[in-house]
Amino acid sequence: MADYAPVDLAADNLVTFELNGRTVSAPAGTMLVDAAYAAGVEIPIFCYEPRLGPPIGACRMCLVEIEGMRGLQTACSTPVTEDMVVRTNSPMAKDAQDGVLEMLLAQHPLDCPVCDKGGECPLQDRTFKFGPGKSRFIEPKRHFPKPIELSSRIALDRERCISCFRCVRFSQDVAQDGQLTMQERGARSEITTFTGDAYEARFSGNITDICPVGALTSIPYRFVARPWDITNTPSVCGSCPVGCNTELTTRDGELKRITGRDTPNVAVEEGWLCDKGRWGYDIAMSPNRLSAPVVREAVGDRTVSIEDGVAAAASLLTGRRVGILLGGAVTLEEAGIALDLATNGTLDNAVVARLGVASGNCAPVRAATGAQLGDIDAADLVVIVGGDPAAQQPIVELRVRKARRFGARVIGCGARPHALESLGDFTRTAPGHLADGMMGLADAISNAARPVVLWDEADLASDPGAIAALTALLAASPHATQLMLGADVNGVGLSALGVSTTGLFEAIAADEVDAVICVHADPLEAAGSIAWQAVFDGFRGPVIAIATYASAMTERADLVLPALTMWEQEGTLVSMTHRAQRLRPGAAGPAQAAAGWELLIAIAHHLGHPPAYRTAASAFTHTVASHPAFFGMTTDLIGTDGVVIGAWPADDVSPAAIVADPDHLVLVATRDTFGDDMTARSHALRTAVSAPVLRMHPATAQALWLNEHDHAVLISDVGSSSALPVLCDARVAEGLIVGPLGAPGSPIEGALSRNQHQAIVRVERT
Amino acid sequence: MNADQVRAHIDPIRHEYAEARSLILPALKFAQTEKGHLTREDLEAVGEATGFSAAYVESVASFYDRLYLAPTGARVVSVCVTLSCMLRGADEVWDHLCEREGVSHHGGTSEDGRITIQEAQCLGYCDRAPCIQADAEETKGPFTPGSAAAFVDALRAAPDPHEFWR
Repeated sequence: MADYAPVDLAADNLVTFELNGRTVSAPAGTMLVDAAYAAGVEIPIFCYEPRLGPPIGACRMCLVEIEGMRGLQTACSTPVTEDMVVRTNSPMAKDAQDGVLEMLLAQHPLDCPVCDKGGECPLQDRTFKFGPGKSRFIEPKRHFPKPIELSSRIALDRERCISCFRCVRFSQDVAQDGQLTMQERGARSEITTFTGDAYEARFSGNITDICPVGALTSIPYRFVARPWDITNTPSVCGSCPVGCNTELTTRDGELKRITGRDTPNVAVEEGWLCDKGRWGYDIAMSPNRLSAPVVREAVGDRTVSIEDGVAAAASLLTGRRVGILLGGAVTLEEAGIALDLATNGTLDNAVVARLGVASGNCAPVRAATGAQLGDIDAADLVVIVGGDPAAQQPIVELRVRKARRFGARVIGCGARPHALESLGDFTRTAPGHLADGMMGLADAISNAARPVVLWDEADLASDPGAIAALTALLAASPHATQLMLGADVNGVGLSALGVSTTGLFEAIAADEVDAVICVHADPLEAAGSIAWQAVFDGFRGPVIAIATYASAMTERADLVLPALTMWEQEGTLVSMTHRAQRLRPGAAGPAQAAAGWELLIAIAHHLGHPPAYRTAASAFTHTVASHPAFFGMTTDLIGTDGVVIGAWPADDVSPAAIVADPDHLVLVATRDTFGDDMTARSHALRTAVSAPVLRMHPATAQALWLNEHDHAVLISDVGSSSALPVLCDARVAEGLIVGPLGAPGSPIEGALSRNQHQAIVRVERT
Repeated sequence: MNADQVRAHIDPIRHEYAEARSLILPALKFAQTEKGHLTREDLEAVGEATGFSAAYVESVASFYDRLYLAPTGARVVSVCVTLSCMLRGADEVWDHLCEREGVSHHGGTSEDGRITIQEAQCLGYCDRAPCIQADAEETKGPFTPGSAAAFVDALRAAPDPHEFWR
């Protein structure tokens, strides 16, 4: 992993020092290990990990000789100074390395042949590189019952632990879940949780990445593959709009593991992943994965080959006026091809629209200087306006906690309570009244040197007053940058391609469309599902669903074409911070399935209009050529780290303003990463699932004659929700109901309007 | 024990501790006086009263010999086995007590649940070696195997202390 911190050799405060007889330089204050690594000298380490905070010098592996200092010094905690003379390969330093490794290995089982870490293990690698090669220890080693399950996803082999404290520091300082500790002392020291409880936390998997030995391993990956069996592919996670950079581990064409990258993307996730991004991939093998095309006929369903499925799609579309509905996670390539088919004569004047939050009215905020997630680290003030980042964009939580650790002040306002509120001063605002809360933030923002404002796309889109207030705030604070907490995985990319959230619904309702293609989109499970259901009930034409998993729409469709998942296909996603990043396949997928972009190209061929591109990369080139936000962009330029896209003309679609008043209750939908349908279907995440509930203030519940755990339905102008249990939470604003978006069975989507995450509702007890 | 009880004990001494986490130790010692050992609830109460996570409080408790995370006998007898006492016959005292109480040579709790025998490192009574300490009472010595057994018998017969200060 990212063992050494990057060093800026172009900085203007360089100091020059002597390293093993060479004269080298590094910025003053750089830790010696990092400065040496930048100069090409590896000083072995185990406990040092710059992402975990200040060095603690626990493992003693980095001992070096520094002239003028008594004894040996730990290079991880010694900053370089001018004219320092350092020797990392002198007899004394070498002796220390031998000694420390012999000591660490004295209690280490050396069961490398059966250890999952073997072959990619820092302890193994550094023992070979720096170690004595032979142990004098002949006494019996310590034994523990092995392994124990730290949680249902992480196994702990205690005798392999070298007590480096990396996992404890991650839990205590980075994720701040406070769960992992080192107990006992001396040879009996062991990593454990409070009274041995399961380590249930949303970022727990990162400790398997940072463990420098085989003590903490991933249970789903246990005994699955060896380093020489696997190939690793850099990709990006499409579970939420953050776009964390991942590495997919493939063995024999099957996806076996997802980890953070060896070289983390400091602008995005800094190498940390949430447990869903790490372990949620097993839903690709879940029973409701679609694996063969289905033609639905009066006599029953017929499974056909992918070729016959595509041919059937083409014949259903021939001569019909077509509408194409794109889901929020559709790639740029898929959207670009859909737009191309609609305009190049293949599907004459097809209507293309997307599902997701309409936020064209947020363009003035988006036009202010944008920040990347990595910029939060250096902020002196983090402002969170609306939203629930800890639930909806998980990695943002770690970034804000890091900024707080570095001394940044955290403030904000919003209707929903969230996990980051404990880090600073937050004011509760009623829905539609975010501007009131922002008044109290203005002074702090204008007085800060490097403020970053995180604002929630869905909350602001429904609150025109907040857009105006935030635009004015940003305009008045020249140092301030903004970062959108997005609602849809590729919402930014689709909107930059000019795909609107409106048009298709109206066209179907007005009978201007004879056939519909849904690409990774299920309107019957999305916001406004009841309205969508009504138009589809009255729709007599064929519906083609290009989808990965069975859902309400694939049950309704006349033809289902199975598509590949984000782990199996090529594509480009644009994150909520406007960063275009590439998906690369790490698994093959079912034989009778194909990527969405391939299916669209194949359909075009069958319709007698072969497009000018054959591959995902050429479809990308073709797509971006005509859109200003992507000018000059190529797949090579995006590379492994991604590129921030340019500006684009905003569409003029804005959702209705939702304003709370004493006579109306407001539903605000939160997509809890760990409460959605995908998590519910994952076997690995079975103990991490949060249950769908309606959260409201006890006074609100009382006024509605509801007790905790009673079931209630929400009824709005456009429809109603399913019954959900009530959970009282005094932190929720009165008159507000927080409901679970995307939960299994889409319980609240029916009460929402299309393309909006808020609604005025009334509540009925069931 | 609940957090309010712990708070009532540590609030008057809070000013004596420069670092907040140093208060965990007196809080744990006090929480232990109720049952003689620390339960999950006690650790949570100390965490709440001191402002640290229960997991961290448990990690502190696990470091110290005199903080017990499992039930002990009504009285805990610590036998010093460090150099001075060992030279003056601590091993014989230790073995005799272990055998009489029917516990292994690592120490343990007698079957009737009255007495726990444990090894202690130097108790600072080398001039009275070999020495023994009952709970947190004043250390006594010197002992022979026979007088040590009589000392333990007296402890067994005595009523339980009102509070378990260990």
